[in-house]
Amino acid sequence: MADIASDIPMSAARPLRFRSFSILGWPVYAWFIALVLVPNLLLIGASFLRTSNGLIVFDPTVASYVRLWKSSSFQFLLLKTLATSFGAAAIGCLIAYPMAYYAARVVQRNRSILVLLVIIPLWISLLMRVFAWRMILGQNGILNSFLVGSGVLDQPSEAFLYTGFSVLLTYTYISIPFCFVAIFTALEKIPHSLIEASQDSGASAWQTFRHVVWPLSRPSVAIGFSLAFLMTVGDYITPSMVGGIDGTMIGMVIASQFGIANNWPYGSAIAVCLMLSVGVVLALVMWAGQTKGVLMGDEGARPAVSRARLSPGRRVLRSLAAAAFTLPYLFLYAPLAIMVLMSFNDSSVQAFPLQGATLRWYAELAENASMLEAVRRSLVVGFTVVLVSTVAATGFAFAIHYGRVRQARFFEFALALPVAIPGVVLGIVMVLATQLVQVPSGIFRTVIGQSSFVMPVILMIILARLRRLDGALLEASMDAGANHWQSFVHVLFPSIRGAIIGGALLGFTLSADDVMVTLFLSGTAPTLPIWVWNQMRFGFTPSVNAIFTLVGVGSLLAILVCNRLVFRGTSGAAGSS
Amino acid sequence: MAKSSQAILTVAGVDKTYDGATRPALDRISFSVEPGEFFSILGPSGSGKTTLLRMIAGFEQPDVGRILMDGEDITHVPPFRRDVRTVFQSYALFPHMSVLENVAYPLRMAGARKAERLAKARECLDLVSMGDFAARLPHQLSGGQRQRVALARAIVCRPRILLLDEPLGALDLRLRQQMQHMLVSLQRELGIAFVYVTHDQGEALSMSDRVAVMSEGRIAQLGTPREIYFDPSSEFVAQFVGRSNLLPIDCVSGEGGCTAVLDGQPLSGVATPRPGPARMAIRFECVRLAAADQPANGACSVAGTVEDVLFLGNALEVNVRCGGLNIIAAVPSAGGEGYAPGRQVRVLFDASNATVFHG
Repeated sequence: MADIASDIPMSAARPLRFRSFSILGWPVYAWFIALVLVPNLLLIGASFLRTSNGLIVFDPTVASYVRLWKSSSFQFLLLKTLATSFGAAAIGCLIAYPMAYYAARVVQRNRSILVLLVIIPLWISLLMRVFAWRMILGQNGILNSFLVGSGVLDQPSEAFLYTGFSVLLTYTYISIPFCFVAIFTALEKIPHSLIEASQDSGASAWQTFRHVVWPLSRPSVAIGFSLAFLMTVGDYITPSMVGGIDGTMIGMVIASQFGIANNWPYGSAIAVCLMLSVGVVLALVMWAGQTKGVLMGDEGARPAVSRARLSPGRRVLRSLAAAAFTLPYLFLYAPLAIMVLMSFNDSSVQAFPLQGATLRWYAELAENASMLEAVRRSLVVGFTVVLVSTVAATGFAFAIHYGRVRQARFFEFALALPVAIPGVVLGIVMVLATQLVQVPSGIFRTVIGQSSFVMPVILMIILARLRRLDGALLEASMDAGANHWQSFVHVLFPSIRGAIIGGALLGFTLSADDVMVTLFLSGTAPTLPIWVWNQMRFGFTPSVNAIFTLVGVGSLLAILVCNRLVFRGTSGAAGSS
Repeated sequence: MAKSSQAILTVAGVDKTYDGATRPALDRISFSVEPGEFFSILGPSGSGKTTLLRMIAGFEQPDVGRILMDGEDITHVPPFRRDVRTVFQSYALFPHMSVLENVAYPLRMAGARKAERLAKARECLDLVSMGDFAARLPHQLSGGQRQRVALARAIVCRPRILLLDEPLGALDLRLRQQMQHMLVSLQRELGIAFVYVTHDQGEALSMSDRVAVMSEGRIAQLGTPREIYFDPSSEFVAQFVGRSNLLPIDCVSGEGGCTAVLDGQPLSGVATPRPGPARMAIRFECVRLAAADQPANGACSVAGTVEDVLFLGNALEVNVRCGGLNIIAAVPSAGGEGYAPGRQVRVLFDASNATVFHG
């Protein structure tokens, strides 16, 4: 009897296949061709053209590459960009690893809150975070006024802002949450029995870490590192806000080739070089991070927690660790807190001491017609992007999960490619693609560009949920007499509704916050972040603080809602990005 | 605390209550294990046996009491400094190490040189007949193979005590029986004291020198498998080990001591300590069946009707209705063809096989 049962594989994990319905896979192929394949080929193609009098000439040439090959300043800039992003990601991992270890393996209660607190800054406008750093590091900034006020410095120092250091610092700040999320999920997954088996084998705490914990978490460190590296390497916002001349990065050069310099082939060639070098760096990182073997997930659950009575020495150590654990949180939240504080400060100089409370910056916003127009536009773009992406992602997720797409693994990966392309490169790729089919810059172009990276994020969330579902659900529904459509309406859709709504909300915040891609596409129809970005070029007023505070609160609410929906019932499995 | 000088492991008066739990996980546990002994801890889930094992391994601290190894107090010695190894229920093989590396791990931690530890690990893999799988990774092995690797890793350093936490729980029946034979012969060969935790009474009885039956954090009975089986000290043990009929009886005092009365019928020879209502345990296989007209021949006897019959292969379980009671008899299936439902039979058992519990 037992033999018969073991001969029949439990088909729970294997979804049904419908060869006859493979027409449903076609939109997947179409999306891939239109938004991934063609745009990237265009980029490569464009890099082999040249310009004459500001117009692109269709005359295949390697002139741009020759120019890059000879340009030592380009090579220096590329190396500097890679080194800065690499350094920031490495420091980010160094800070995030102990944090993640503490949150995943030492803390027993409220773990999910600790994790959420680290993730939140990820989804609060990048502009806002970078702007906050500018406020801290600037000559009239908080750091300087503190140092001068306390007598450490005689006069405000210029060493903090507009240097390579300020870019590195801000990149590190951006990196920490990515590193943390990846490392935390890995550390939390390590079965406690493995740790005990190691101790049982006579390994000390350090040996256990070196031979068991570290090898098992190394692949995720590489993933967190790569995410952080990707986020910063194509960033042209941060360097232009806090970098100055010393802090120029390659993303700014690419952006300027598609802007003021108006040399698209040259810009494309730089972008191709950037993508290739990023690819090489990431391949090396992934190679260094790999660990053989597969966690099987049946290594046993966490045993009942017994609070061992700690010796006084260990208790001191524990409280020291807890204190050290809060420091990165301060680092993550201090800039945001200062910004919120300043939005209520009754002074146009952003420095301490505070001058008294006021709401006038908020009042000023309400009268600003062009800003209100930008807000309206952001909402329109956001809703359209979310609608398009969610519908597409839901359909694609089903098509991929239920085997209606050939080479599903490949397409799942390929559709997600735009998420893994440095921001500046994705921006110009989408410019090229929309230019080809003569979509004018503006709302429509922005929607297409943003959908290219919002859709894959929603797709990943829905797919993750579908894969967690019991595969027998669909079989049970059809067994009960429901056809495919009825099964979808009554069984499948209700069980992934949370993921769809959560994904849509997350997609909305991504869309509403985006600068990197949108800046290339919006033309004269700026969304809110682009409008703010334009304002900041002409110097800033404290009403920028007010906008960001409102945006921050808005994103926070959206995140909290989508967190509830996506991760309801699952503990801290927040590896969606 | 009469510490016997030859005990390798002594658990002395150990109490443990988890945070937030209402009743203790372990309640005044004391026992000793002799060198080279196969000692089993048997109990249902939640009886505290795994907690006890983890305490011996050093993963838990007792609230009260001590754990001694070779007479030396190791209560507060961390797990990695104890000469105790554990075979984990989940095997806990390191997924990123090959089978050979897994087995060599304890030697590596002990600072053995590479050539030496690999040679020893190979030797040990041969011992559990896994020598051909040395280069595999754990996820490429079947459950039974992983089990043997976990065993090899635990014995490679020749600890003086080996703890096994339901090691056969995840294996199918045939594999489990093979592994039982292997464990027993391995234990003889190595002379290591085994402390074996299980909820399977068959495993405990078949392999052990002594068995401690646990219930709700306490040791309900400690003895040889034979004692546990044939002379259970409590109703719980009688129920949990083997399969018993528990019959309500009345103990009536008469001349010459108490007599047990079952369903109005006196049973001669059943030892009853004191008068009053009680329950009598009698194992299924100690109950015999005979034709209704056959004389009792000095055995206790009750008349009844066959209600249903289960065919178990080597035996039949015959459920007999005797007045207001049901008594189950396990009889050899060869020759038992005649027991059909509705048939009148006589249920017989020897008074010496019955145990009476008051309470």
